[in-house]
Amino acid sequence: MAKSYMQVKGLVKRFGPFTALNGVDLEVFPGEVHALLGDNGAGKSTLIKILAGVHQPTSGRIFIEDDEVQFRSPRDASAAGIGTVYQDLALNQLMSVTRNFFMGRELKGRLGVLRTKEMDKIAHDEMLKIGIDISDPRQAVGTMSGGQRQTLAIARAIYFGAKVLILDEPTSALGQRQQMEVLKTMMRVRARGDIAIIFITHNEIHSNLVADRFTFLALGQVIGAGTKTELAGEDIRRLMAGGAEMKDLAHELAAI
Amino acid sequence: MADRSESDRLKQESWYQKTIRRPEIGSFVVMIVVIIALALASDGQAFNALGLKNNIAIIAQFGIIATGAALLMIAGEFDLSIGSMIGFAGMSMAMMMKWGLPFGLGEATPFTAFLITLCMTLFLGWMIGNIVVRSGLSSFIVTLAFLFVLRGTTEVAFRLINKSTQISGLPDFKETSWFAELMGGEVFGWFYDLWFEFGGNLNRKGEQWVSGFDARFMWWIIIAGAAYFILSRTQLGNWIYATGDDKEAARANGVPVNKVKIGLFMFTAFCATMFAACQVFDTNTSDAAKGNLKELEAIAIAVVGGTLMTGGFGSVIGVVFGAVTVGLVANAVFFIPWIDGSWFRVFVGTVLLAAVFANERIRKRITGGI
Ligand SMILES: Nc1ncnc2c1ncn2[C@@H]1O[C@H](COP(=O)(O)OP(=O)(O)OP(=O)(O)O)[C@@H](O)[C@H]1O
Ligand SMILES: [Mg+2]
Repeated sequence: MAKSYMQVKGLVKRFGPFTALNGVDLEVFPGEVHALLGDNGAGKSTLIKILAGVHQPTSGRIFIEDDEVQFRSPRDASAAGIGTVYQDLALNQLMSVTRNFFMGRELKGRLGVLRTKEMDKIAHDEMLKIGIDISDPRQAVGTMSGGQRQTLAIARAIYFGAKVLILDEPTSALGQRQQMEVLKTMMRVRARGDIAIIFITHNEIHSNLVADRFTFLALGQVIGAGTKTELAGEDIRRLMAGGAEMKDLAHELAAI
Repeated sequence: MADRSESDRLKQESWYQKTIRRPEIGSFVVMIVVIIALALASDGQAFNALGLKNNIAIIAQFGIIATGAALLMIAGEFDLSIGSMIGFAGMSMAMMMKWGLPFGLGEATPFTAFLITLCMTLFLGWMIGNIVVRSGLSSFIVTLAFLFVLRGTTEVAFRLINKSTQISGLPDFKETSWFAELMGGEVFGWFYDLWFEFGGNLNRKGEQWVSGFDARFMWWIIIAGAAYFILSRTQLGNWIYATGDDKEAARANGVPVNKVKIGLFMFTAFCATMFAACQVFDTNTSDAAKGNLKELEAIAIAVVGGTLMTGGFGSVIGVVFGAVTVGLVANAVFFIPWIDGSWFRVFVGTVLLAAVFANERIRKRITGGI
């Protein structure tokens, strides 16, 4: 079996008295899509914010290729190859595609002048590689569709050396066709073989379509994990509901 | 269907269409209208040799502080302390010139007086910036507090040391100090020399009439030029836009948003200090009431120039147009004797409101109507 790129062991995160994560383990492999599933408030976003260096864990350890790492800031995490595409995408609507693509990592020439032409070309080419041909890299992000924005954010993360690509509900705000676009983009990234994708979603169909491996969170704990073959389809649905049986739910609904 | 890609849907626009969609276009049109109207109503007086000089003098004044206000607004914050900062800086420089440097450091030169004042105002800007980013309070409130504090401090300091809230009758430092000449003297004399060569710029005796623009014209060009360059061509410019557009998105991408904001509060303080230095060394006077309401005029000009109140969008070129417009109208009373000077405020208010609506439309067009 391939070696994992990143391993998380016993991650705990408390916000004051509230335990958001209570000892979470996670392992991601290059060239695989790892679906991270769980109900609202299960702690998915909290987990990836720790991986992205936004939050510091209360306890627990993170390993990148067997070396223990600590992320004190988003910069640390991205330097270690963690590229995060947040639910809100971290895009600036009024600014151009290129300016967003290079935000915080601009290419500078002499006197700190931006190398605009070169940046336009890179932004265009990198987005084309994963499936979207934007005609004008100077158009404002606010004028782009949701799927195009996802692609921009993903292309940006990959270009800046992401080895782990974290996608927080990339399909949730999109229409059917655009959801498929994003799934296709994910599969193109997966096909490169060198990038591990963590895919957070509430959509069972989507996760079944693209994921190789699953981790289920409920109330801050892992309640199930494994590869697609290890988990039966029925199991996935039960775990997604936070461990509740579908037929129990049916009873509960009927009782109202 | 398969050979139709997403990019085909964006229509290629002609040069003309691109131009009329530019955010500066509104302020440009208003500026042209004002220039023509003023030229006609003043019978050309507004743009004869002296009229031009006087108009540029006030335009440059507005332009200097509006550039600072606009950059800060693009980064999502306001500075209401600009006017009081002008008063404070002017008082500080004039008082050092009259009473010597503080702490018994001896006689002041225009340069040392300016330098010490600039250190103080930059420190104040740094402090305002820090309070805003650390407290998370609205900059509107924090700088409103400094509007009062600085104006009050200026008056108290004047009365304590100078016994009066005005200083006048200082010697003309321009004759002895290169620095005073640089701030309050004349520049671009070649322009008026050429004008004279070509047979214009004559006074009643047929001699050369005006010899140059006020130095603040040069400072405005330098400040606006630098701001334009930074905003449109550099990494820092990208960070300024990003900070005002979506602070959290910017931060997630490693943009040091707090440093950007603090730096820009220092920049508005710098602009206010330049405004004051040009004024003090031009007229060799100072007054505790100097700069009153200038913060609001600076913000109004920034908005008229197409800067969004909500941040993230704006252009220095638009602000230049805005400064020309507002400056000309402020001065109009000198060239059109039958007009009541208070129409200036009516005009600024009306144009401001129209500009806010126009800017809002631009924002909606870009963000898809949210
Ligand atoms: N900064 C914070 N301070 C306090 N509590 C927090 C903070 N961030 C998250 N939480 C809490 O931690 C829990 C987990 O939140 P999290 O956002 O990780 O859930 P999630 O699994 O991403 O949910 P969703 O599917 O709705 O996005 C929630 O109960 C939330 O209220
Ligand atoms: Mg979430």
